Amino acid sequence: MADDEPKPVTRLRDYGLQSERLLWPTKGPSQFEESLGVDELERALGLTTLEKAVRWAQTKSMWPDTFGLACCAIEMMSIVSSRYDLARFGMEAFRSSPRQADLLIVSGRVAHKMAEPLRQIYDQMLEPKWVIAMGVCASSGGMFNNYTILQGVDRIVPVDIYIPFCPPRPEALMEGIIRLHEAHLAGIPPAYERNGVAT
Amino acid sequence: MATVVDKTQIYEGTRIPERVPTILDLPPELRDSEDVLQVNFGPNHPSTHGVLRLIVDLHGEEVVGASAVIGYLHTGFEKTMESKTYWKCVTYPERIDYVGYQNNELVFVLAVEQLLEMNVPMKATWMRMLLCELNRIHSHLIYLGTSALELGAISMFWYCFRERETILDLFELVTGQRMHTRYFQVGGLAEDIPSGFYPECRKFVEWMPHALDDYRGLLDKNQIWLERTVGVGKLSAADAIALGQTGPNLRASGVDWDLRRDQPYLHYDQVDFRVPVYPNGDVYDRYRVRMDEMLESNRIVRQCLDRLERMEGMPWIADDRKVVLPPREELHTSMESLIHHFKIVTEGFRVPAGEIYVAIESPRGESGCYLVSDGGPKPWRVHFRAPSFVALEATATCLRDTYVADLIAVVGSLDAVMGDTDR
Amino acid sequence: MTQWSDLPGYVSERASADMATVTIERERIREACEYARDRLGFDMCVDVVATDYLEWGGKGVSGYIGTATGRDLNKPMTEGLQVLPELKPKRFSISYHLLGLRQGAPRVRLQCWAEDGESVPSVVSVWPTCDWHERETFDLMGIVFDGHPNLERLLMPEDWEGHPLRKDYPLGGEPVRFSDAE
Repeated sequence: MADDEPKPVTRLRDYGLQSERLLWPTKGPSQFEESLGVDELERALGLTTLEKAVRWAQTKSMWPDTFGLACCAIEMMSIVSSRYDLARFGMEAFRSSPRQADLLIVSGRVAHKMAEPLRQIYDQMLEPKWVIAMGVCASSGGMFNNYTILQGVDRIVPVDIYIPFCPPRPEALMEGIIRLHEAHLAGIPPAYERNGVAT
Repeated sequence: MATVVDKTQIYEGTRIPERVPTILDLPPELRDSEDVLQVNFGPNHPSTHGVLRLIVDLHGEEVVGASAVIGYLHTGFEKTMESKTYWKCVTYPERIDYVGYQNNELVFVLAVEQLLEMNVPMKATWMRMLLCELNRIHSHLIYLGTSALELGAISMFWYCFRERETILDLFELVTGQRMHTRYFQVGGLAEDIPSGFYPECRKFVEWMPHALDDYRGLLDKNQIWLERTVGVGKLSAADAIALGQTGPNLRASGVDWDLRRDQPYLHYDQVDFRVPVYPNGDVYDRYRVRMDEMLESNRIVRQCLDRLERMEGMPWIADDRKVVLPPREELHTSMESLIHHFKIVTEGFRVPAGEIYVAIESPRGESGCYLVSDGGPKPWRVHFRAPSFVALEATATCLRDTYVADLIAVVGSLDAVMGDTDR
Repeated sequence: MTQWSDLPGYVSERASADMATVTIERERIREACEYARDRLGFDMCVDVVATDYLEWGGKGVSGYIGTATGRDLNKPMTEGLQVLPELKPKRFSISYHLLGLRQGAPRVRLQCWAEDGESVPSVVSVWPTCDWHERETFDLMGIVFDGHPNLERLLMPEDWEGHPLRKDYPLGGEPVRFSDAE
């Protein structure tokens, strides 16, 4: 008996969306609906929230800024190369201007002299913006515990993802980037909203 | 501080700036002009050379003043290495020139070995030669890919990195790491050469000349490449020597000098290779020198492979138990080995007092290590002579009479790695 | 064989495995470099290095030292006594490594000694490459070069205080627990 009954068709009004036909009873179906077939409108549409759609779009084209400092920069260049192809994530367009960039991959050791330009670049980026600390030198100062290297870039910018290794393999950097995408899709806000700069 | 400012012009016809050799000053007629714009190529810039800051004065499109500001990647290697034992110190030099990393390791390890007066087994020296030549190819590929990328030949980047990935696969096969391999040890190599390396290396060596033909086909006679590089950034031979240039920059200016041939280290006197020299000293000649060097390095790798394949089963590290860790199997049976292992790991081996300067031909030029030891387990003073540091001193001379579009070509052709410059 | 004693300001010389080390009086180092360039044919100055010998020999070094041939049991190294390295004349040594671009690659190290506060004549007029080398030495070691046209800090930020590579300057960084390195 249950198999004979057709599945109930969910209508737009079940979602609280009023189509214009309800408000204007005498209007016939639109050209779009006619080309789809009226009854199939709901089956031809995908429903989502605006935030999720925007996040999906942001994830699929998160452009990094060219902030290569040291050895990790060479591995960052190699993810753009054809073996580890970053273009399949829409990220091969490394923007030189921080105004056009979404993601700051701090790749390499940050000297105190470089800390000021780093913060300036970060400030120039428009929100939403993310920071990946690539390599141990950016995450925590690495093997250089001395007078001139900033012990972790999270002292001056809020960091979303830390990637260890010296230098990270390209696959490790891709894992970090993919986790950032997943975190963003799941709704986790960028780091500057969650925590400030480490003390 | 400075009492009398001396004239730095040392000979007639030099293009080295007069007042300060590394700063191109505005010519007197433009000093009060309003048409001169000072532009800052800040530490973060689109070209892929790392954190070099150039402050240039532009009169329209011409570069009339230039000075370089470095130090944005100063890591304090020399001071840090003074507080680590020699064993731990070997990880640091690699990160100085992070593109030709094994050459830096080699120069430090050679300096320590010479102070210790150690004999290193033949297998180790041939393998070191092989890896350093592969690293030279790797470094020149990165130079070629990034220089071409900046001048607009964007697809060269992908082609060069395809070969680079093969070389990094070879490094990973031998040492376990793609970059910063830490394979050279005081006394030889850290581990034996794994089986399967020689056939893979042969495959690469057979393929490489075809790849070089591809690159030449794309760039050598390319009209755009020629117009952007021929005659740009000239550096005469006398200027190059006065500015201390070495390596491809010197050979492109017409001076026939290569440490591998003229002051051989490792086994370079037993292999056959040519040293390319070109006369003009412009960007195009530096490009040609590096392309030819890749081919010559390929030949050297082939010759090293021929020798190494006959050395199966030979020792790869020296036998001196006071310096080299004993093999692990011995630790279970021999008391002396256990004590040596303990002393070397905790306190470190002691190097006799003395000072030494060792130089090798790295992909960028003469890379040297000056080591002062006080007889203890930690170095007293380590200094690395960085070829990129000296190459950047030539920017002011090379940028005379160029346009702003040539600026990137010139800086790229000097092949300066900022880690090497700032140490 | 080169007669090193012809160099102006010659004090002494010492041969070692890599090259001869010739000590020159501090005030005459520029003349010695000009002589080396013009008369002895050392066309290129490869490197200028300063070393700080503060507290040199303060820590005794005893025990056997690694050698290629192992320890000779009939000649134990120190027999329990401290062997101090030979004392140095002054606090800083400044070494100029020179190279001749010809057959045999002749090299020499010209060395002069200075105390803290003494200035050294600059050799920028002899080899322009020493411009940045001397700036770096001033920046990291605090040795002033007389006659240098642009003696500014090179590697450290301009407003940095102190000269990091000196022995009395701390390594810095942050303390790491359970680590033997300070």
